[in-house]
Amino acid sequence: MSEPTQKYRDKELVDALIKKIKQLTEQIGEKARIMHVCGTHEHDLVKAGLRSLLPKEIDLIAGPGCPVCVSSAQDVDEVLWIADNHNVIIATFGDMMRVPGSKESLYQAQGRGVDIRVVYGVSDAIKLAEQTPDRDVLFFSVGFETTSCVTAAEVIRTTLPNFSIYSSHKLVPPAMELLLQRDDLEFQGFLAPGHVSTIIGAKPYDFIPEKYDFPVAVAGFEPVDILVGIYALLKQFNENTSRVDNMYKRYVRYEGNVAALKALEEAYVVSDARWRGLGVWPDTGHEIDDKYSHIDAKKKYELPELEVTDLHSGCICDEILVGKSKPHKCKLFNKACRPDHPIGACMVSHEGTCNVAATYEEIVWED
Amino acid sequence: MCLAIPGLVCEILNDNRVMVDITGVRREADATLLEESLDIGDYVLVHTGFIIQKLDPEQAKEDLKLWDEILSS
Repeated sequence: MSEPTQKYRDKELVDALIKKIKQLTEQIGEKARIMHVCGTHEHDLVKAGLRSLLPKEIDLIAGPGCPVCVSSAQDVDEVLWIADNHNVIIATFGDMMRVPGSKESLYQAQGRGVDIRVVYGVSDAIKLAEQTPDRDVLFFSVGFETTSCVTAAEVIRTTLPNFSIYSSHKLVPPAMELLLQRDDLEFQGFLAPGHVSTIIGAKPYDFIPEKYDFPVAVAGFEPVDILVGIYALLKQFNENTSRVDNMYKRYVRYEGNVAALKALEEAYVVSDARWRGLGVWPDTGHEIDDKYSHIDAKKKYELPELEVTDLHSGCICDEILVGKSKPHKCKLFNKACRPDHPIGACMVSHEGTCNVAATYEEIVWED
Repeated sequence: MCLAIPGLVCEILNDNRVMVDITGVRREADATLLEESLDIGDYVLVHTGFIIQKLDPEQAKEDLKLWDEILSS
């Protein structure tokens, strides 16, 4: 039996919250643009039909919160270069298979014989390495803090000589700060990602109201969770104030998950990271710390400089990722680029902004 | 990717491993990333085979109270 989730999906409660949100929106009297930075938020809010229930004055914008979507083509290219030149087995999440590299995806490479296995997580990749002692196994690891702490636990305790990790891990709060510093984006509040926050806590968002006078609400993923997060932000807009409202207290502590944070601190160093179509964002990545270099694929295999194409012709994933454009504005959307044939990275994962829009044919309000 | 699924701890296997019931399916989960100890009957969030957080029942009640406050405001 799982946590009883019915009450978080209760229709009457949802209707009552929508009514409250409508009242508050009328009081505010202008458009409210809210950015979330979480693929699970995008997927779950669209699946629940929340965009169509909310007043049209509220624009829920999807930011760069899907780790599969933000993975750079260079990461895919480098992993494939290692597989081709060192006869390595690649293990990764199923979501990563169709992420476009410069010339091919892992799925396409598998078609020409590269040994690529889909695993549930890093622990299954380690089991695979145990079962194949005569072959090297490389785990291609992506994800924000929620996933990187799990990989960190294995970085710390794994000593298998035939196992390595290619880290493409990224950090949420510094990416949020870079979004705030851009003058081409217009939004008034952040809906902060619930599951990243179970790890990092609500504390790392404090700088956002303190330094930028900008509202934040941490929200979970059930329809009621998302709506109370939106309500908390609207309340801040209406009161003309800014703070961090934690609306997912049942799982998010202010200080986060202490043991997971220790694992992150121990296993990684903060580094610059490549974001799909957006270039290198300073201090937004996690590379494996030098003391664990034996497990770091980027140190184990000497990588050459590769020529990289992040965005294929016509693809506007760079604009989609920062919420500057919406999926239906892309010429390729649901034509050349579809869930069964993705051209851009945002169409790959079931939590990618374009994939969600194509799957659920959601209502997207015209600007 | 950051999908985490709520489950119920139904068996303690050892210090670092527990059995979790997720909508009727029992699955082993790694508890290395949790400082607090776990008991049978605890609700937890599971992400890629690891428990990333334990539900705080007191705070869950607070959440419900907060919703009532919003609706009666």
